[in-house]
Amino acid sequence: MAAIEVHELERTYRSRKGVIRRRRTEVRALQGITFEVAAGELFGLLGPNGAGKTTTIKILTTLLLPSGGSARVLGYDPARQPGEIRRRVGHVFGGDRGLYDRLSALDNLRYFADLYRVPVREKRARIASLLELVGLTGRERERVETYSRGMRQRLHIARGLLHDPEILFLDEPTIGLDPVGAREVRETVASLRAQGKTILLTTHYMYEADELCQRIAVIAGGRFVAAGTPRELKARVLDRTVIELETFGVAEPTLERLRSVAGVASIASETREQAEVLVVQSRIGAEIVPALLLELTGTSVGKVITREPTLEDAYVELVGSA
Amino acid sequence: MIRAFASGMWIHVVQFSRNPFDLTGVVIWPIVYASIAYYLLDSKDNPRLLLAASLGASVMLMWSLVVIGSSNALENQRWLGTLELLVAAPVPFAAVIAPITVASGVVGGYALVATLAWGTLLFDVPLVIVHPLAFALAVPCCVLAIGMLGLVMASTFVLYRAAFSLGIALQYPVWIATGLLVPLSVLPTFVGRIGWFLGPYWGYRAIREAALGPSPWPAIGMCLVVSATYLVVGTACLRAFVHVARSRGTLKLT
Ligand SMILES: Nc1ncnc2c1ncn2[C@@H]1O[C@H](COP(=O)(O)OP(=O)(O)OP(=O)(O)O)[C@@H](O)[C@H]1O
Ligand SMILES: [Mg+2]
Repeated sequence: MAAIEVHELERTYRSRKGVIRRRRTEVRALQGITFEVAAGELFGLLGPNGAGKTTTIKILTTLLLPSGGSARVLGYDPARQPGEIRRRVGHVFGGDRGLYDRLSALDNLRYFADLYRVPVREKRARIASLLELVGLTGRERERVETYSRGMRQRLHIARGLLHDPEILFLDEPTIGLDPVGAREVRETVASLRAQGKTILLTTHYMYEADELCQRIAVIAGGRFVAAGTPRELKARVLDRTVIELETFGVAEPTLERLRSVAGVASIASETREQAEVLVVQSRIGAEIVPALLLELTGTSVGKVITREPTLEDAYVELVGSA
Repeated sequence: MIRAFASGMWIHVVQFSRNPFDLTGVVIWPIVYASIAYYLLDSKDNPRLLLAASLGASVMLMWSLVVIGSSNALENQRWLGTLELLVAAPVPFAAVIAPITVASGVVGGYALVATLAWGTLLFDVPLVIVHPLAFALAVPCCVLAIGMLGLVMASTFVLYRAAFSLGIALQYPVWIATGLLVPLSVLPTFVGRIGWFLGPYWGYRAIREAALGPSPWPAIGMCLVVSATYLVVGTACLRAFVHVARSRGTLKLT
Protein backbone atom coordinates (compact mmCIF):
# COMPACT_ATOMS: atom_id res chain seq x y z
CA MET A 1 0.00 0.00 0.00
CA ALA A 2 1.26 3.47 -0.86
CA ALA A 3 1.68 5.84 2.06
CA ILE A 4 -0.08 8.61 0.19
CA GLU A 5 -2.45 8.23 -2.74
CA VAL A 6 -3.91 11.25 -4.45
CA HIS A 7 -6.40 10.72 -7.23
CA GLU A 8 -7.90 13.46 -9.38
CA LEU A 9 -7.85 15.77 -6.38
CA GLU A 10 -9.71 19.05 -6.76
CA ARG A 11 -10.12 22.08 -4.58
CA THR A 12 -11.94 25.30 -5.32
CA TYR A 13 -11.79 28.32 -3.04
CA ARG A 14 -14.84 30.51 -2.98
CA SER A 15 -14.59 33.93 -1.53
CA ARG A 16 -16.63 37.07 -1.54
CA LYS A 17 -15.23 40.39 -2.46
CA GLY A 18 -16.55 43.85 -1.81
CA VAL A 19 -18.80 44.98 0.98
CA ILE A 20 -21.67 46.59 -0.85
CA ARG A 21 -21.70 44.87 -4.19
CA ARG A 22 -20.81 41.38 -3.23
CA ARG A 23 -19.08 39.49 -5.95
CA ARG A 24 -18.22 35.86 -5.68
CA THR A 25 -14.82 34.85 -6.87
CA GLU A 26 -13.69 31.32 -7.46
CA VAL A 27 -10.13 30.08 -7.50
CA ARG A 28 -9.65 26.60 -8.83
CA ALA A 29 -6.52 25.83 -6.86
CA LEU A 30 -6.42 22.12 -7.73
CA GLN A 31 -7.93 20.79 -10.92
CA GLY A 32 -7.40 17.05 -10.78
CA ILE A 33 -4.01 16.08 -9.40
CA THR A 34 -2.85 12.48 -9.21
CA PHE A 35 0.27 11.04 -7.61
CA GLU A 36 1.42 8.38 -5.17
CA VAL A 37 4.09 8.32 -2.51
CA ALA A 38 5.51 4.99 -1.39
CA ALA A 39 6.26 4.26 2.27
CA GLY A 40 9.75 5.40 3.22
CA GLU A 41 10.04 7.64 0.20
CA LEU A 42 11.13 11.26 0.18
CA PHE A 43 8.83 12.80 -2.37
CA GLY A 44 9.12 16.31 -3.75
CA LEU A 45 6.14 18.37 -4.83
CA LEU A 46 7.34 21.18 -7.06
CA GLY A 47 5.60 23.98 -8.88
CA PRO A 48 5.56 27.73 -9.30
CA ASN A 49 3.78 30.08 -6.86
CA GLY A 50 0.08 29.33 -6.69
CA ALA A 51 0.52 25.88 -8.18
CA GLY A 52 -1.47 24.31 -5.36
CA LYS A 53 1.29 22.67 -3.32
CA THR A 54 0.22 24.07 0.03
CA THR A 55 -3.41 23.35 -0.82
CA THR A 56 -2.51 19.71 -1.49
CA ILE A 57 -0.64 19.42 1.79
CA LYS A 58 -3.48 21.04 3.73
CA ILE A 59 -5.92 18.53 2.30
CA LEU A 60 -3.64 15.62 3.16
CA THR A 61 -3.10 16.91 6.70
CA THR A 62 -6.90 17.24 7.20
CA LEU A 63 -6.94 21.03 7.48
CA LEU A 64 -8.88 21.50 4.28
CA LEU A 65 -11.64 19.51 2.63
CA PRO A 66 -11.22 18.60 -1.04
CA SER A 67 -13.91 19.70 -3.49
CA GLY A 68 -13.49 16.63 -5.65
CA GLY A 69 -11.42 13.54 -6.26
CA SER A 70 -10.01 11.39 -3.50
CA ALA A 71 -7.00 11.07 -1.26
CA ARG A 72 -5.71 8.38 1.05
CA VAL A 73 -3.10 8.87 3.72
CA LEU A 74 -1.89 5.60 5.24
CA GLY A 75 -5.12 4.12 3.92
CA TYR A 76 -7.35 6.68 5.67
CA ASP A 77 -9.53 9.33 4.09
CA PRO A 78 -8.42 12.80 5.23
CA ALA A 79 -11.91 14.21 4.78
CA ARG A 80 -13.74 11.56 6.79
CA GLN A 81 -11.16 10.08 9.15
CA PRO A 82 -9.13 13.08 10.26
CA GLY A 83 -8.47 11.66 13.73
CA GLU A 84 -6.66 8.59 12.41
CA ILE A 85 -4.43 10.73 10.22
CA ARG A 86 -3.69 13.48 12.73
CA ARG A 87 -2.25 10.93 15.10
CA ARG A 88 0.10 9.58 12.45
CA VAL A 89 1.38 12.51 10.45
CA GLY A 90 3.45 15.57 11.23
CA HIS A 91 3.08 18.94 9.51
CA VAL A 92 5.79 21.58 9.31
CA PHE A 93 5.46 24.75 7.29
CA GLY A 94 8.12 27.28 6.44
CA GLY A 95 8.32 30.78 7.81
CA ASP A 96 8.49 31.92 11.38
CA ARG A 97 4.86 31.62 12.41
CA GLY A 98 3.26 28.78 14.31
CA LEU A 99 5.05 29.05 17.65
CA TYR A 100 4.25 30.66 20.99
CA ASP A 101 6.72 33.53 20.96
CA ARG A 102 6.58 34.42 24.61
CA LEU A 103 7.31 30.88 25.72
CA SER A 104 10.57 29.00 25.63
CA ALA A 105 11.27 26.30 23.07
CA LEU A 106 10.94 23.74 25.82
CA ASP A 107 7.48 25.00 26.84
CA ASN A 108 6.39 24.99 23.21
CA LEU A 109 7.49 21.41 22.77
CA ARG A 110 5.96 20.30 26.07
CA TYR A 111 2.62 21.81 25.17
CA PHE A 112 2.50 20.24 21.73
CA ALA A 113 3.68 16.93 23.18
CA ASP A 114 0.58 16.95 25.38
CA LEU A 115 -1.64 17.91 22.45
CA TYR A 116 -0.15 15.10 20.38
CA ARG A 117 -0.58 12.59 23.17
CA VAL A 118 3.06 11.75 23.68
CA PRO A 119 3.14 9.33 26.65
CA VAL A 120 4.32 11.08 29.82
CA ARG A 121 7.12 8.57 30.37
CA GLU A 122 8.61 9.24 26.94
CA LYS A 123 8.04 12.96 26.84
CA ARG A 124 11.23 14.17 28.45
CA ALA A 125 13.53 11.83 26.51
CA ARG A 126 11.73 12.51 23.23
CA ILE A 127 12.04 16.27 23.61
CA ALA A 128 15.72 15.99 24.54
CA SER A 129 16.53 13.83 21.54
CA LEU A 130 14.64 16.10 19.17
CA LEU A 131 16.40 19.19 20.48
CA GLU A 132 19.62 17.32 19.83
CA LEU A 133 18.49 16.38 16.31
CA VAL A 134 17.73 19.96 15.35
CA GLY A 135 20.72 21.40 17.17
CA LEU A 136 18.91 23.48 19.79
CA THR A 137 20.23 21.71 22.87
CA GLY A 138 21.41 24.26 25.41
CA ARG A 139 19.13 27.04 24.15
CA GLU A 140 15.81 25.40 24.84
CA ARG A 141 15.02 27.60 27.83
CA GLU A 142 15.25 30.86 25.92
CA ARG A 143 12.09 32.52 24.68
CA VAL A 144 11.23 31.82 21.07
CA GLU A 145 10.85 35.55 20.34
CA THR A 146 14.63 35.84 20.72
CA TYR A 147 15.32 33.06 18.21
CA SER A 148 16.69 33.55 14.72
CA ARG A 149 14.62 32.37 11.79
CA GLY A 150 16.73 29.28 11.32
CA MET A 151 16.32 28.33 14.96
CA ARG A 152 12.55 28.78 14.73
CA GLN A 153 12.44 26.67 11.62
CA ARG A 154 14.38 23.90 13.30
CA LEU A 155 12.15 24.13 16.35
CA HIS A 156 9.21 23.72 13.97
CA ILE A 157 10.67 20.52 12.65
CA ALA A 158 11.21 19.23 16.17
CA ARG A 159 7.57 20.06 16.91
CA GLY A 160 6.41 18.17 13.84
CA LEU A 161 8.32 15.09 14.93
CA LEU A 162 7.16 15.00 18.58
CA HIS A 163 4.67 12.20 18.15
CA ASP A 164 7.03 10.20 15.94
CA PRO A 165 4.78 10.49 12.87
CA GLU A 166 4.89 7.95 10.08
CA ILE A 167 4.64 10.68 7.47
CA LEU A 168 6.13 14.14 7.64
CA PHE A 169 4.81 16.98 5.50
CA LEU A 170 7.35 19.74 4.96
CA ASP A 171 6.03 22.83 3.19
CA GLU A 172 9.00 24.95 2.10
CA PRO A 173 11.06 24.22 5.20
CA THR A 174 14.04 26.29 4.01
CA ILE A 175 12.16 29.43 2.96
CA GLY A 176 13.91 32.55 4.15
CA LEU A 177 16.91 30.78 5.64
CA ASP A 178 20.50 31.74 4.95
CA PRO A 179 22.61 29.18 3.04
CA VAL A 180 24.08 27.70 6.20
CA GLY A 181 20.72 27.48 7.96
CA ALA A 182 19.16 25.94 4.86
CA ARG A 183 21.92 23.38 4.66
CA GLU A 184 21.39 22.42 8.29
CA VAL A 185 17.70 21.90 7.65
CA ARG A 186 18.54 19.79 4.58
CA GLU A 187 20.89 17.69 6.66
CA THR A 188 18.13 17.12 9.19
CA VAL A 189 15.76 16.10 6.40
CA ALA A 190 18.37 13.77 4.92
CA SER A 191 18.86 12.08 8.29
CA LEU A 192 15.11 11.61 8.61
CA ARG A 193 15.07 10.00 5.19
CA ALA A 194 17.85 7.68 6.34
CA GLN A 195 15.65 6.67 9.28
CA GLY A 196 13.03 5.57 6.78
CA LYS A 197 10.41 8.25 7.35
CA THR A 198 8.01 8.99 4.54
CA ILE A 199 8.38 12.65 3.68
CA LEU A 200 6.46 14.93 1.35
CA LEU A 201 8.52 18.05 0.69
CA THR A 202 7.77 21.19 -1.25
CA THR A 203 10.45 23.66 -2.21
CA HIS A 204 11.31 26.30 -4.77
CA TYR A 205 15.00 25.37 -4.74
CA MET A 206 15.75 22.84 -7.43
CA TYR A 207 19.15 21.81 -6.13
CA GLU A 208 17.42 21.05 -2.85
CA ALA A 209 14.92 18.80 -4.56
CA ASP A 210 17.69 17.22 -6.61
CA GLU A 211 19.79 16.57 -3.53
CA LEU A 212 17.03 15.21 -1.31
CA CYS A 213 14.13 13.79 -3.26
CA GLN A 214 13.86 10.28 -4.57
CA ARG A 215 10.88 11.15 -6.71
CA ILE A 216 9.29 14.41 -7.77
CA ALA A 217 5.95 15.56 -9.09
CA VAL A 218 5.67 18.89 -10.84
CA ILE A 219 2.36 20.72 -10.78
CA ALA A 220 1.45 24.12 -12.20
CA GLY A 221 -1.76 26.09 -12.00
CA GLY A 222 -3.46 23.24 -10.17
CA ARG A 223 -2.70 20.72 -12.87
CA PHE A 224 -0.34 17.79 -12.95
CA VAL A 225 2.67 18.37 -15.23
CA ALA A 226 5.16 15.55 -14.78
CA ALA A 227 6.51 13.04 -12.29
CA GLY A 228 9.58 10.89 -11.97
CA THR A 229 12.98 10.64 -10.35
CA PRO A 230 15.19 13.72 -10.65
CA ARG A 231 17.23 11.75 -13.18
CA GLU A 232 14.15 10.94 -15.27
CA LEU A 233 13.04 14.53 -15.28
CA LYS A 234 16.51 15.66 -16.27
CA ALA A 235 16.53 13.06 -19.04
CA ARG A 236 13.76 15.01 -20.73
CA VAL A 237 16.20 17.75 -21.41
CA LEU A 238 19.36 15.62 -21.46
CA ASP A 239 19.63 15.76 -25.22
CA ARG A 240 20.05 19.47 -24.79
CA THR A 241 22.92 21.70 -23.96
CA VAL A 242 22.46 24.75 -21.84
CA ILE A 243 24.22 27.92 -22.86
CA GLU A 244 24.32 30.84 -20.47
CA LEU A 245 25.07 34.25 -21.94
CA GLU A 246 25.81 37.15 -19.67
CA THR A 247 24.25 40.24 -21.21
CA PHE A 248 23.36 43.74 -20.15
CA GLY A 249 19.82 44.56 -21.12
CA VAL A 250 18.22 42.67 -23.98
CA ALA A 251 15.03 44.03 -25.47
CA GLU A 252 11.99 41.87 -26.12
CA PRO A 253 12.30 41.98 -29.97
CA THR A 254 15.85 40.66 -29.70
CA LEU A 255 14.60 37.85 -27.46
CA GLU A 256 12.00 37.00 -30.07
CA ARG A 257 14.65 36.82 -32.78
CA LEU A 258 16.82 34.63 -30.54
CA ARG A 259 13.90 32.27 -29.99
CA SER A 260 13.58 31.71 -33.70
CA VAL A 261 17.25 30.75 -34.16
CA ALA A 262 17.36 27.17 -35.45
CA GLY A 263 18.07 24.70 -32.66
CA VAL A 264 16.85 26.84 -29.77
CA ALA A 265 14.47 24.85 -27.52
CA SER A 266 13.79 27.56 -25.00
CA ILE A 267 15.13 30.82 -23.66
CA ALA A 268 14.72 32.19 -20.19
CA SER A 269 16.15 35.39 -18.84
CA GLU A 270 17.40 35.60 -15.26
CA THR A 271 18.88 38.39 -13.22
CA ARG A 272 22.03 37.44 -11.38
CA GLU A 273 24.09 39.95 -9.46
CA GLN A 274 24.64 42.85 -11.83
CA ALA A 275 24.06 41.04 -15.09
CA GLU A 276 21.14 39.61 -16.93
CA VAL A 277 21.74 36.03 -17.95
CA LEU A 278 20.04 34.42 -20.93
CA VAL A 279 19.65 30.71 -20.35
CA VAL A 280 19.32 29.06 -23.75
CA GLN A 281 18.50 25.40 -24.13
CA SER A 282 19.97 24.17 -27.40
CA ARG A 283 19.05 21.02 -29.29
CA ILE A 284 22.23 21.04 -31.33
CA GLY A 285 24.90 21.51 -28.70
CA ALA A 286 27.35 24.35 -28.50
CA GLU A 287 27.40 24.85 -32.26
CA ILE A 288 24.51 27.23 -31.82
CA VAL A 289 26.62 29.85 -30.05
CA PRO A 290 27.82 31.79 -33.17
CA ALA A 291 24.24 32.08 -34.44
CA LEU A 292 23.14 33.43 -31.05
CA LEU A 293 25.98 35.93 -30.91
CA LEU A 294 25.13 37.09 -34.40
CA GLU A 295 21.62 38.00 -33.24
CA LEU A 296 23.10 39.80 -30.26
CA THR A 297 25.36 42.13 -32.25
CA GLY A 298 25.08 45.55 -30.78
CA THR A 299 24.49 44.31 -27.23
CA SER A 300 27.47 43.73 -25.00
CA VAL A 301 27.86 40.11 -24.08
CA GLY A 302 29.99 38.98 -21.15
CA LYS A 303 30.81 35.43 -20.16
CA VAL A 304 29.39 32.58 -22.23
CA ILE A 305 29.12 29.24 -20.45
CA THR A 306 28.12 25.87 -21.85
CA ARG A 307 26.93 23.26 -19.38
CA GLU A 308 24.88 20.11 -18.81
CA PRO A 309 21.22 20.65 -18.00
CA THR A 310 20.24 20.61 -14.32
CA LEU A 311 16.96 19.76 -12.65
CA GLU A 312 16.18 23.44 -12.69
CA ASP A 313 16.45 23.51 -16.48
CA ALA A 314 14.14 20.53 -16.67
CA TYR A 315 11.74 22.28 -14.32
CA VAL A 316 11.75 25.53 -16.25
CA GLU A 317 11.09 23.61 -19.45
CA LEU A 318 8.26 21.58 -17.87
CA VAL A 319 6.56 24.53 -16.23
CA GLY A 320 7.12 26.79 -19.21
CA SER A 321 5.40 24.41 -21.60
CA ALA A 322 2.59 23.56 -19.17
CA MET B 1 -6.94 14.67 27.39
CA ILE B 2 -6.74 15.85 30.97
CA ARG B 3 -3.04 16.42 30.42
CA ALA B 4 -3.75 18.43 27.29
CA PHE B 5 -6.24 20.46 29.32
CA ALA B 6 -3.89 21.16 32.22
CA SER B 7 -1.00 21.89 29.90
CA GLY B 8 -3.18 24.21 27.84
CA MET B 9 -4.30 26.19 30.86
CA TRP B 10 -0.77 26.58 32.05
CA ILE B 11 0.47 27.70 28.63
CA HIS B 12 -2.23 30.30 28.25
CA VAL B 13 -1.82 31.68 31.73
CA VAL B 14 1.94 32.01 31.13
CA GLN B 15 1.47 33.50 27.65
CA PHE B 16 -1.03 35.94 29.19
CA SER B 17 1.13 36.85 32.16
CA ARG B 18 4.03 37.72 29.88
CA ASN B 19 2.10 40.50 28.21
CA PRO B 20 2.56 43.64 30.29
CA PHE B 21 -0.49 45.27 28.72
CA ASP B 22 -2.86 42.51 29.78
CA LEU B 23 -1.32 42.41 33.22
CA THR B 24 -1.84 46.11 33.88
CA GLY B 25 -5.45 45.72 32.84
CA VAL B 26 -5.98 42.96 35.35
CA VAL B 27 -4.64 45.18 38.11
CA ILE B 28 -6.59 48.28 37.14
CA TRP B 29 -10.02 46.93 36.17
CA PRO B 30 -11.01 45.70 39.64
CA ILE B 31 -10.47 49.19 41.02
CA VAL B 32 -12.54 50.68 38.21
CA TYR B 33 -15.37 48.21 38.69
CA ALA B 34 -15.37 48.61 42.44
CA SER B 35 -15.70 52.37 41.96
CA ILE B 36 -18.50 51.93 39.44
CA ALA B 37 -20.42 49.77 41.88
CA TYR B 38 -20.05 52.40 44.54
CA TYR B 39 -20.78 55.58 42.63
CA LEU B 40 -23.18 54.41 39.97
CA LEU B 41 -25.73 52.73 42.19
CA ASP B 42 -26.43 55.29 44.82
CA SER B 43 -26.64 52.80 47.65
CA LYS B 44 -24.35 54.15 50.29
CA ASP B 45 -26.93 53.91 53.06
CA ASN B 46 -27.95 50.36 52.33
CA PRO B 47 -25.10 47.94 53.13
CA ARG B 48 -26.92 44.93 51.67
CA LEU B 49 -27.52 46.72 48.40
CA LEU B 50 -23.94 47.97 48.38
CA LEU B 51 -22.57 44.47 48.74
CA ALA B 52 -24.96 43.18 46.09
CA ALA B 53 -23.78 45.93 43.74
CA SER B 54 -20.11 45.09 44.36
CA LEU B 55 -20.80 41.43 43.74
CA GLY B 56 -22.64 42.29 40.53
CA ALA B 57 -19.78 44.48 39.39
CA SER B 58 -17.23 41.78 40.08
CA VAL B 59 -19.20 39.14 38.16
CA MET B 60 -19.54 41.61 35.30
CA LEU B 61 -15.81 42.05 35.31
CA MET B 62 -15.28 38.30 35.39
CA TRP B 63 -17.52 37.86 32.37
CA SER B 64 -15.76 40.65 30.48
CA LEU B 65 -12.38 39.16 31.20
CA VAL B 66 -13.53 35.77 29.96
CA VAL B 67 -15.04 37.06 26.72
CA ILE B 68 -12.23 39.46 25.99
CA GLY B 69 -9.55 37.07 27.20
CA SER B 70 -10.73 34.13 25.17
CA SER B 71 -11.60 36.06 22.01
CA ASN B 72 -8.23 37.74 22.25
CA ALA B 73 -6.50 34.41 22.78
CA LEU B 74 -8.23 32.91 19.75
CA GLU B 75 -7.44 35.85 17.56
CA ASN B 76 -3.88 35.51 18.78
CA GLN B 77 -3.75 31.92 17.59
CA ARG B 78 -4.53 33.20 14.12
CA TRP B 79 -1.82 35.83 14.28
CA LEU B 80 0.71 33.39 15.65
CA GLY B 81 -0.27 30.85 12.99
CA THR B 82 -0.92 28.21 15.62
CA LEU B 83 -4.65 27.81 14.99
CA GLU B 84 -4.07 25.27 12.23
CA LEU B 85 -1.67 23.34 14.41
CA LEU B 86 -4.22 23.23 17.21
CA VAL B 87 -6.89 21.99 14.83
CA ALA B 88 -4.47 19.40 13.43
CA ALA B 89 -3.76 18.00 16.91
CA PRO B 90 -5.28 14.60 17.60
CA VAL B 91 -7.03 15.65 20.83
CA PRO B 92 -10.60 16.96 20.40
CA PHE B 93 -10.59 20.63 19.61
CA ALA B 94 -12.74 21.40 22.65
CA ALA B 95 -9.93 20.09 24.86
CA VAL B 96 -7.67 22.67 23.22
CA ILE B 97 -10.07 25.60 23.46
CA ALA B 98 -11.71 24.99 26.85
CA PRO B 99 -8.43 25.56 28.75
CA ILE B 100 -8.20 28.97 27.11
CA THR B 101 -11.63 30.06 28.28
CA VAL B 102 -11.32 28.46 31.70
CA ALA B 103 -7.88 30.04 32.14
CA SER B 104 -9.53 33.40 31.44
CA GLY B 105 -12.17 32.40 33.97
CA VAL B 106 -9.49 31.84 36.57
CA VAL B 107 -8.07 35.27 35.87
CA GLY B 108 -11.67 36.46 36.21
CA GLY B 109 -11.97 34.67 39.56
CA TYR B 110 -8.97 36.55 40.81
CA ALA B 111 -10.51 39.80 39.51
CA LEU B 112 -13.70 39.05 41.43
CA VAL B 113 -11.82 38.68 44.67
CA ALA B 114 -9.78 41.79 43.86
CA THR B 115 -12.90 43.85 43.10
CA LEU B 116 -14.45 42.88 46.42
CA ALA B 117 -11.21 43.58 48.24
CA TRP B 118 -10.91 47.04 46.69
CA GLY B 119 -14.53 47.72 47.48
CA THR B 120 -13.93 46.93 51.12
CA LEU B 121 -10.69 48.82 51.22
CA LEU B 122 -11.73 51.98 49.42
CA PHE B 123 -15.45 52.26 50.01
CA ASP B 124 -16.09 50.27 53.19
CA VAL B 125 -18.34 47.81 51.42
CA PRO B 126 -19.34 45.48 54.24
CA LEU B 127 -18.02 42.03 53.40
CA VAL B 128 -20.41 40.05 55.56
CA ILE B 129 -20.99 36.65 54.05
CA VAL B 130 -23.88 34.56 55.29
CA HIS B 131 -22.66 31.19 54.00
CA PRO B 132 -18.85 31.39 53.80
CA LEU B 133 -18.44 27.76 52.75
CA ALA B 134 -21.06 28.04 50.03
CA PHE B 135 -19.45 31.28 48.92
CA ALA B 136 -16.07 29.55 48.54
CA LEU B 137 -17.82 26.99 46.36
CA ALA B 138 -19.96 29.47 44.48
CA VAL B 139 -16.95 31.37 43.14
CA PRO B 140 -15.34 28.42 41.30
CA CYS B 141 -18.80 27.34 40.10
CA CYS B 142 -19.32 30.81 38.71
CA VAL B 143 -15.87 30.64 37.05
CA LEU B 144 -16.86 27.33 35.48
CA ALA B 145 -20.27 28.52 34.30
CA ILE B 146 -18.79 31.66 32.79
CA GLY B 147 -15.79 29.84 31.32
CA MET B 148 -18.05 27.30 29.65
CA LEU B 149 -20.28 29.98 28.16
CA GLY B 150 -17.00 31.41 26.91
CA LEU B 151 -16.36 28.05 25.23
CA VAL B 152 -19.64 28.23 23.34
CA MET B 153 -18.78 31.74 22.19
CA ALA B 154 -15.21 30.74 21.34
CA SER B 155 -16.59 28.26 18.84
CA THR B 156 -17.93 31.16 16.81
CA PHE B 157 -14.51 32.79 16.93
CA VAL B 158 -13.20 29.83 14.94
CA LEU B 159 -15.57 30.79 12.17
CA TYR B 160 -15.43 34.56 12.32
CA ARG B 161 -12.10 36.19 11.97
CA ALA B 162 -13.09 39.37 13.76
CA ALA B 163 -13.19 37.40 16.99
CA PHE B 164 -12.03 40.22 19.17
CA SER B 165 -14.61 42.79 18.10
CA LEU B 166 -17.28 40.13 18.29
CA GLY B 167 -16.15 39.38 21.83
CA ILE B 168 -16.45 43.02 22.85
CA ALA B 169 -19.90 43.24 21.30
CA LEU B 170 -21.05 40.17 23.20
CA GLN B 171 -20.23 41.58 26.61
CA TYR B 172 -23.14 43.95 27.00
CA PRO B 173 -26.18 41.84 26.10
CA VAL B 174 -25.08 39.29 28.66
CA TRP B 175 -24.64 41.98 31.28
CA ILE B 176 -28.20 43.08 30.72
CA ALA B 177 -29.82 39.66 30.35
CA THR B 178 -28.31 38.38 33.56
CA GLY B 179 -29.45 41.35 35.59
CA LEU B 180 -25.92 42.42 36.38
CA LEU B 181 -26.37 45.94 35.13
CA VAL B 182 -29.98 46.74 35.92
CA PRO B 183 -32.35 44.77 38.13
CA LEU B 184 -34.28 42.27 36.05
CA SER B 185 -37.56 43.46 37.57
CA VAL B 186 -37.44 46.69 35.54
CA LEU B 187 -36.92 44.82 32.28
CA PRO B 188 -39.53 42.96 30.22
CA THR B 189 -40.00 39.43 31.53
CA PHE B 190 -38.58 37.71 28.46
CA VAL B 191 -35.16 39.23 29.21
CA GLY B 192 -35.17 37.48 32.55
CA ARG B 193 -36.15 34.25 30.84
CA ILE B 194 -33.11 34.59 28.57
CA GLY B 195 -31.01 35.02 31.71
CA TRP B 196 -32.10 31.58 32.83
CA PHE B 197 -30.05 30.06 30.04
CA LEU B 198 -26.95 32.05 30.84
CA GLY B 199 -24.15 30.89 33.12
CA PRO B 200 -23.36 34.37 34.49
CA TYR B 201 -26.95 34.70 35.76
CA TRP B 202 -26.71 31.56 37.87
CA GLY B 203 -23.13 32.32 38.80
CA TYR B 204 -24.14 35.73 40.07
CA ARG B 205 -27.16 34.36 41.91
CA ALA B 206 -25.05 31.66 43.55
CA ILE B 207 -22.52 34.20 44.72
CA ARG B 208 -25.11 36.75 45.82
CA GLU B 209 -27.23 34.25 47.68
CA ALA B 210 -24.17 32.78 49.37
CA ALA B 211 -23.28 36.24 50.56
CA LEU B 212 -26.74 37.58 51.41
CA GLY B 213 -28.92 34.51 51.73
CA PRO B 214 -31.29 32.79 51.36
CA SER B 215 -29.98 29.41 50.27
CA PRO B 216 -27.40 29.47 47.44
CA TRP B 217 -27.55 25.73 46.75
CA PRO B 218 -30.19 25.74 43.99
CA ALA B 219 -28.21 28.35 42.08
CA ILE B 220 -24.95 26.44 42.56
CA GLY B 221 -26.69 23.35 41.22
CA MET B 222 -27.94 25.32 38.24
CA CYS B 223 -24.39 26.54 37.61
CA LEU B 224 -23.24 22.97 37.25
CA VAL B 225 -26.19 22.07 35.05
CA VAL B 226 -25.67 24.96 32.64
CA SER B 227 -21.89 24.33 32.63
CA ALA B 228 -22.41 20.72 31.61
CA THR B 229 -24.89 21.79 28.94
CA TYR B 230 -22.48 24.40 27.60
CA LEU B 231 -19.71 21.82 27.48
CA VAL B 232 -21.85 19.53 25.33
CA VAL B 233 -23.13 22.34 23.12
CA GLY B 234 -19.69 23.97 22.85
CA THR B 235 -18.03 20.70 21.86
CA ALA B 236 -20.65 20.08 19.20
CA CYS B 237 -20.40 23.65 17.89
CA LEU B 238 -16.62 23.52 17.77
CA ARG B 239 -16.73 20.29 15.81
CA ALA B 240 -19.28 21.70 13.38
CA PHE B 241 -17.54 25.03 12.96
CA VAL B 242 -14.13 23.47 12.41
CA HIS B 243 -15.74 21.42 9.68
CA VAL B 244 -17.12 24.57 8.08
CA ALA B 245 -13.73 26.28 8.39
CA ARG B 246 -12.06 23.28 6.74
CA SER B 247 -14.46 23.42 3.88
CA ARG B 248 -14.15 27.20 3.44
CA GLY B 249 -10.42 27.21 3.97
CA THR B 250 -10.39 30.05 6.48
CA LEU B 251 -8.27 28.53 9.24
CA LYS B 252 -5.02 30.14 8.26
CA LEU B 253 -6.44 33.55 7.42
CA THR B 254 -5.89 36.37 9.83
N1 LIG C 1 -7.72 30.47 1.75
C1 LIG C 1 -7.72 30.77 0.44
N2 LIG C 1 -8.75 31.44 -0.09
C2 LIG C 1 -8.76 31.73 -1.41
N3 LIG C 1 -7.82 31.35 -2.27
C3 LIG C 1 -6.77 30.66 -1.81
C4 LIG C 1 -6.66 30.33 -0.43
N4 LIG C 1 -5.50 29.64 -0.24
C5 LIG C 1 -4.93 29.54 -1.46
N5 LIG C 1 -5.67 30.15 -2.41
C6 LIG C 1 -5.37 30.21 -3.85
O1 LIG C 1 -5.16 28.89 -4.32
C7 LIG C 1 -4.09 28.83 -5.25
C8 LIG C 1 -3.07 27.81 -4.82
O2 LIG C 1 -2.46 28.24 -3.64
P1 LIG C 1 -1.36 27.40 -2.86
O3 LIG C 1 -1.08 28.13 -1.59
O4 LIG C 1 -1.81 26.00 -2.73
O5 LIG C 1 -0.12 27.48 -3.83
P2 LIG C 1 1.38 27.01 -3.59
O6 LIG C 1 1.72 26.05 -4.66
O7 LIG C 1 1.59 26.56 -2.20
O8 LIG C 1 2.15 28.38 -3.85
P3 LIG C 1 3.49 28.95 -3.17
O9 LIG C 1 4.62 28.33 -3.89
O10 LIG C 1 3.40 30.41 -3.46
O11 LIG C 1 3.44 28.62 -1.72
C9 LIG C 1 -3.56 30.24 -5.35
O12 LIG C 1 -4.10 30.82 -6.52
C10 LIG C 1 -4.08 30.92 -4.12
O13 LIG C 1 -4.32 32.28 -4.40
MG1 LIG D 1 2.74 27.21 -0.56
